[in-house]
Amino acid sequence: MHLPARYTLELDAAHRTRRRIGALPTAVPDTATGPDHPVRTIYDARHQQTLPGEKVRAEGAGPAKDQPVNHAYDGLGATFTLYLRAYGRHSIDGRGLPLNASVHYGQGYNNAFWDGKQMVFGDGDGRIFQDFTGSVDVIGHELTHGVTQYTANLEYFGQSGALNESVSDVFGSVIKQYALRQTVDQADWLIGADVLAPGIHGTALRSMKAPGTAYDDPTLGKDPQPATMDGYVSTSQDNGGVHINSGIPNHAFYLVAAALGGHSWERAGQIWYDTLTGGALASDADFAAFARATATAAQTRYGDGEEYQTVLKAWSQVGVPAAPTGTALPRQASPQQQAPEGAQPPSQG
Amino acid sequence: MRIAVTRTGGFAGITRRAELDTTGRPDAGRLHALAHEVLTASDSGTPVGVPDGFVYEITVDGRTVRCADPHLSGAQRKLIQQVLKEGA
Repeated sequence: MHLPARYTLELDAAHRTRRRIGALPTAVPDTATGPDHPVRTIYDARHQQTLPGEKVRAEGAGPAKDQPVNHAYDGLGATFTLYLRAYGRHSIDGRGLPLNASVHYGQGYNNAFWDGKQMVFGDGDGRIFQDFTGSVDVIGHELTHGVTQYTANLEYFGQSGALNESVSDVFGSVIKQYALRQTVDQADWLIGADVLAPGIHGTALRSMKAPGTAYDDPTLGKDPQPATMDGYVSTSQDNGGVHINSGIPNHAFYLVAAALGGHSWERAGQIWYDTLTGGALASDADFAAFARATATAAQTRYGDGEEYQTVLKAWSQVGVPAAPTGTALPRQASPQQQAPEGAQPPSQG
Repeated sequence: MRIAVTRTGGFAGITRRAELDTTGRPDAGRLHALAHEVLTASDSGTPVGVPDGFVYEITVDGRTVRCADPHLSGAQRKLIQQVLKEGA
């Protein structure tokens, strides 16, 4: 998705408004620091793989002639704006970290990544993928790896790795929805819809609404993502299938957002953000630990009402137990959670 | 000499594998030199990568080494690009 110019203007106006609001002592958490606007620098790697490359656009400078430079600049801005305006977070580290990105990395390079300090975008080979700056959810996804690095620091392997990936998909999609002011019904819930090359049979790389249906192509193969634990894939490749099993927590977030309605960055996004940044989540958390943490986050912020019940139900639908240990499970509990017939009920107290 | 490259990870999480046999190739000498350099300069342990970074497994006549973006040597990058025929 390319952000139209009017969104950039709208976001800039939002920054100015925010700066005025930010003067009020209660507008942002006391711990937040850093300016209420992004500090972006875009570099051109000139098809080499030496980072960062040549500086081509600084914060506040007008658009460059090269569109990937502008897409990267706008995508970094959209990400900064979502985190600040929805959650009061100042940049990736919460302390105003300058956002740097390099475009035109390598030759026909089919990837984009956060290297721990900056964003890196390839051009794609034009056969399978095209310019990776083209999807704002991809930019948001990568920068959210930075947010995770500074907060829950989920280990990039197995279930904690799939959670790391899922959190990036969740906020990547939320960032796009925020930029487009979409409701959960209007959103496409797709990741990477604009980076697939023309001719590839597929709508995107991943679908949070319907994991496993994003593509089916002779070159790419078929989207391998499961939506529920029944389809969990055990593999040693891809750090234990971090890009495959992320479909399960992705779908749980979608179910929560769809059930609560309205805007995904409000209650659903807030619960996931609280979970990621609250300090209670272990870096080696598995799906069940993350699910419990989201339930606790929902309860802490919103009480025992609709939000908490919706979170429990969503995790139950994807087959992950979310109820706190020792608490009665809701009726919709998945088969894995239910005691076999004839089993003794757990003793109380 | 048979050289195989398996690439996993990446934003898309899609695995790609390709293999070539240097027998009879006009560039066999150059490929042998690259393969030798990669084998001697790499190790078989798990490389330290980055989220969404590509991870590569290079197998030369049965011996496997691993490496990861964005920390490839020039020889690793050239060999991977040659075998996968795709931007590495």
